[in-house]
Amino acid sequence: MTALSADKLTVRRGGATLLDGLSLSLGPTGSVAVIGPNGAGKSTLLKVLAGIESPTSGRILLGDRDLATLSHATRAHSIGFVPQHFDPHWDLSVAELVQLGAERGERVPQSAVDATIASFELEGLGARRWSTLSGGERARVLLATVLVVDPPVLLADEPAASLDIRHRLDVIQALAARGRERLSVVVVHDLDLAFASFDRVVLIDRGKVVADAAAADLIDDPRLDAAFGVRFERLKVDDGWLLRARRT
Amino acid sequence: MLLVLLVAIMIGISAGHGWASPADVLRAIAGDPSLGSRLLVEWRIPRVLAAALVGALLGLGGTVFQGVFRNPLAEPYLLGSAGGAALGATVALLVPLAVPQSLLLPVLAFAGAWGATLLVIGISRVSGAVDAAGMLLAGVAVAAILGALRSFLMLALSDETVSLQIVLSWVLGGVQTPSWPVLGLLAAITAACVGLTLLIAGRLDILGLGETMATSFGLNVHRFIMLAVLAGSVVVAAAVAFGGLVAFVGLASPHIARWLVGPLHRPLLPASALIGAIVVTVGDAIARSALPPAEIPLGLVTAVAGGPFFIMLLAQRLRK
Repeated sequence: MTALSADKLTVRRGGATLLDGLSLSLGPTGSVAVIGPNGAGKSTLLKVLAGIESPTSGRILLGDRDLATLSHATRAHSIGFVPQHFDPHWDLSVAELVQLGAERGERVPQSAVDATIASFELEGLGARRWSTLSGGERARVLLATVLVVDPPVLLADEPAASLDIRHRLDVIQALAARGRERLSVVVVHDLDLAFASFDRVVLIDRGKVVADAAAADLIDDPRLDAAFGVRFERLKVDDGWLLRARRT
Repeated sequence: MLLVLLVAIMIGISAGHGWASPADVLRAIAGDPSLGSRLLVEWRIPRVLAAALVGALLGLGGTVFQGVFRNPLAEPYLLGSAGGAALGATVALLVPLAVPQSLLLPVLAFAGAWGATLLVIGISRVSGAVDAAGMLLAGVAVAAILGALRSFLMLALSDETVSLQIVLSWVLGGVQTPSWPVLGLLAAITAACVGLTLLIAGRLDILGLGETMATSFGLNVHRFIMLAVLAGSVVVAAAVAFGGLVAFVGLASPHIARWLVGPLHRPLLPASALIGAIVVTVGDAIARSALPPAEIPLGLVTAVAGGPFFIMLLAQRLRK
């Protein structure tokens, strides 16, 4: 059974082809890392899958229903989207932000809101305003705001890119762990984190899926080197491999 | 805040060409038949209440526009409504028509303000730029064109019988003294505007998360921006029709209200309306009583007070 699938997605904007007939099928559970060089179309893919942008052609199915025909509320409740950059225009408090997240789609009971706040360790921060939060706190607030409705599908566009390594690990591992019960698709720039934390890795280049396999299988694949335009040395460590890039 | 407004209204009623004590005011409201009391009831009290309502409308309009454009420097006249209203008023004041001017002026001012905003929305739609930046650019262009048209009309239509001074003093803003039925109409419009803007309050909050996030939260961003701009410009057009172009109240009130109640729009909209009402009531009292027997245009009072506020705001933003 598939939870979310893309069928021959093409996106053209201003003469550039961002997605080029891309197809992808994702199950109801699993942690999926999307990797690829800059400009490969990762962010575009995620936005189109989330219904934020519409494809030039092709379609997206959520379960067995066409995403374009769903109501905005149903879509908002079914797909959680974590953007690459999030900077609210008004200096809202943590509690207000999470509450706004909870008010989309169907009704979320207060107990669920409290549970989400607790699970991201934000209990003491409710009254704090966004401008006073650290980067790590902001990432947790953003995740809580998106996940408070417990959407079956989570699409996250590299939410940890600007964090220090400890907070990045926390965020990426929380997202990957979500894949045990739900579908969690995350654009990841740090290849080692992608291969170490996620079950499945999808490699995208020039708007197409170049390789799509279990993390352990893809790490050896020469298409990885070709897509990034480098030669990777695969270094064996205790629980897997590390990649070190060399210029070709 | 309501208390502050009541005090402001009381001061507003007392202040003026001749100072009336609160006791005089109470006696007048109780139905005292003396000339002084009748003047208070027929002229000053409606004028003060109208000032408060116009201020409330400006506060609401400013909050909606700042919310839609997610820009704390946005003000209600942003999308050409000031230029449109001024053009409408110029026509009403300078073109001899069969309709009495007291009726024609608010109607044409309203039509001008609302029409200019519709024009701006139309232009940004046709050019395919339905986002906030596209509308702002269209607004600047439309304002320039309307300003030029108004100047032309003023030059072409004025002669010894119609003075340009009445046009100028209208453009500088000033609450007209309404009859009690007209005041009732204004009160009803204001109440409707509070209700209308509260309907979009939740979605203004969502929009404040940014367009990408708002879309992922299920908001149809472009359609909502259009809807909110339409709602906001009804509010502003109503304010302009009754109070002329009063500067800076729509810009400043939402900021003061945000300091007091925070940025969520459900409490912010009514708070901003109250602040606007207080500011215009006090400003109008100053306009009426500072240089008796003359009256300073209200827009001048609010601009002199609001200008420094605006500069402070800008400095604070730039420092961030």
